[in-house]
Amino acid sequence: MNGRRNFLQSFGSAMALGGLLGLGLLKPGPALAVDFNRAAFDTKTAADALRLIGAAGAETSRDIFLKVPEIAENGASVPVEVASNIPGTTRLSVLVDKNPFPLALQFNFAPGAVARFQARLKMAETSRLRIVATAGDKHYTVFREVKVTVGGCGE
Amino acid sequence: MPDPIKIRATVKGSDGEVRVLLPHPMESGLRHDASGHAMPAHYITSVILSLNGRPVIEGGLGTAVSANPLFAFQLTGVKAGDKLAVAWLDNKGQRGSAESTFTAA
Repeated sequence: MNGRRNFLQSFGSAMALGGLLGLGLLKPGPALAVDFNRAAFDTKTAADALRLIGAAGAETSRDIFLKVPEIAENGASVPVEVASNIPGTTRLSVLVDKNPFPLALQFNFAPGAVARFQARLKMAETSRLRIVATAGDKHYTVFREVKVTVGGCGE
Repeated sequence: MPDPIKIRATVKGSDGEVRVLLPHPMESGLRHDASGHAMPAHYITSVILSLNGRPVIEGGLGTAVSANPLFAFQLTGVKAGDKLAVAWLDNKGQRGSAESTFTAA
């Protein structure tokens, strides 16, 4: 895996562009070509998404904090809070196994950012919600079942 | 013109807490309108948060992020007056950006 190198390179180039942005020399534009594997967002099974983000062999970890409701009454907006206590975590990914497109969200964290976030997700139906934390070349995972009473992907 | 991005950036000690609201339909492409026509996908694909011009968090989003995405993050080594910028790009090539200043909590 060269994920970390890609990550550092993408931050390096983003930093250079960010500097230009600050000087007003460059409108926000191609700088936003963030280096995620978009194919992973378009795939329809969690197994494929995990493979495409390089996390197929992720080991279960107790050091990832995940707060989600056990029962989500509104699948259109399920609050999720994630924090990784694994040293050197540079990426957090969220997958909803039974969504039409399981990979929901990925964040990269550069030095100065804490590997934690809150977000709201759509869930089509009751499903396993899975977090993958990436630290160096390793992937760690934690998952939780979330019951959804009214689905939020709108078939 | 969509609603403006909302940013709340506060500092406690040297920890910065950031909340951003990005007004956006986040249309999944799976829904149909009242007359049964498929509504095309229209969603934010990437987000960058920068602290004083340096990118600190970058996000890749799929269609499963709720409409009008609301995110909270934590930064370290932040002081009042530091600048926080947010920029997004969606699958139609539309963009949005905003900047705010950290204030003491």
